[in-house]
Amino acid sequence: MSDLLNVLTEHSDEIGGGLWVTFRLVAAAFAIALVVGTVVAALRIAPSVWLRRLGGVYVETFRNIPLLVLLTLSYAGLRRAGVEIGQWSAGIASLGLYTAAYVAEVLRSGVFAVSKGQIEASLSLGFSYRETLRRIVLPQAFRTVIPPLGSITIAMIKNSAIVGASIIALNDLLKNARIVQAQTFKVEESFLWAAVGYLLLTGAVTIAFRMLERRLAISR
Amino acid sequence: MGYLFDPDNWEWLITGRNARFVLEGFLVNLQIALIAMFFSLVLGLGLALLRLSRVRGVGAATGLWTDLWRNLPLILVILYLAIALPVTWREAYEDHAPGFLPEALQTGRVFAALLALVLYNSAVLAEIMRAGIQSLDRGQGEAAAALGMSYAQRMRLVILPQGLRRMVPATISQLITLNKDTTLVSIIGIQEVMRHGRILTGNNFFGGVQAPVLQVLIFVGILFIVVNLLLSRLSRRLEIRERERTGTTIEPVSGLEDQVTTATAR
Repeated sequence: MSDLLNVLTEHSDEIGGGLWVTFRLVAAAFAIALVVGTVVAALRIAPSVWLRRLGGVYVETFRNIPLLVLLTLSYAGLRRAGVEIGQWSAGIASLGLYTAAYVAEVLRSGVFAVSKGQIEASLSLGFSYRETLRRIVLPQAFRTVIPPLGSITIAMIKNSAIVGASIIALNDLLKNARIVQAQTFKVEESFLWAAVGYLLLTGAVTIAFRMLERRLAISR
Repeated sequence: MGYLFDPDNWEWLITGRNARFVLEGFLVNLQIALIAMFFSLVLGLGLALLRLSRVRGVGAATGLWTDLWRNLPLILVILYLAIALPVTWREAYEDHAPGFLPEALQTGRVFAALLALVLYNSAVLAEIMRAGIQSLDRGQGEAAAALGMSYAQRMRLVILPQGLRRMVPATISQLITLNKDTTLVSIIGIQEVMRHGRILTGNNFFGGVQAPVLQVLIFVGILFIVVNLLLSRLSRRLEIRERERTGTTIEPVSGLEDQVTTATAR
């Protein structure tokens, strides 16, 4: 038991620093996932067939390709091709673009969950297509997508551990825990603290999304 | 763009046994996926039933177990087991691994990888199945009980066929995730498609052409996309057929295995 605490106190720099790197990685990738995911979702529900197909190709590509392939491709692949991409850019872009496909699907299903009658009512009241989307559809869609967005964020935090384990080797929580393990030979303790770190992050996200959901809930 | 489509950069693919070598690696991934799928589905169903057990403590204990495994990053579990698994276990696996498996699947490390994949995926699948069972109308089970059916009969004849059928899309979506996750085992040194790709892009290999990393990985990515699209096509086919045949509603999901469990659990 004392070993457990010793590993934490003697290597708080590695573990705390790793947690901070994981946090920044996840935050930046989440921002990209939201922006790209929204654009792709807009393509998926666009009035033009070709735009819808384009969105579909994005989703099917990024959802069916392993994240490890994306990470290696964006770092080693681009560098070999002469593009001087950094560890952070490659990690954030891969994780963000990968997650964006899932975000797009959630947003799309959120829009479809708004009943058709609402849209018809809004149009018949004289709202334009854009106004209907902005005032009627999106506010309702946003509420329904909050729980699944929370799940995606949690999945992304877990997936972020692959960035440090891949060729990108960013010093994230898991990577640093493995460094501590290699230095101290304390396998259980090192991995346990990494697990605790990830559970802390996912726990915080769970609570944050639950609060957001409660705050935005409409009293009916 | 020029670099991407430059025929020189694709020459590796038709040189020597390169394409075959990548495909051989991919086959290892598929085999790992199939083995892990089988055990995850079986164990997942068992966990789902235990989770719903009315015996005191069993449900809560199973819930703790599944929540633990499904909230940890899979790669953490893989790396941990690769180091921490007792040597005797690995040796036992090496001794008993069936001979028809390829050489890459005979090493003890594969046991750690399979164990991690099954622990994680059985937990996720158990939650999906539990959500499916619980989303059924209570009256179904009650009616079956009123007809004099035993617990086993109720489960086998009434509850599971309906509850699990609803969750076919979510289950297949998780199996696609499992399929993608098999690439993670390359990190603990199992010779599968990522490792084979790495070998091709290293020093001159078959045919003396050094393959560019980007093109090799695009090829690997396409292999995964093809197999996973076939899986989701299968899911859609099953869904439509079942809906026509039975008139049951199926939970609509779109590649969001974790979402289903949280959405239906509340």
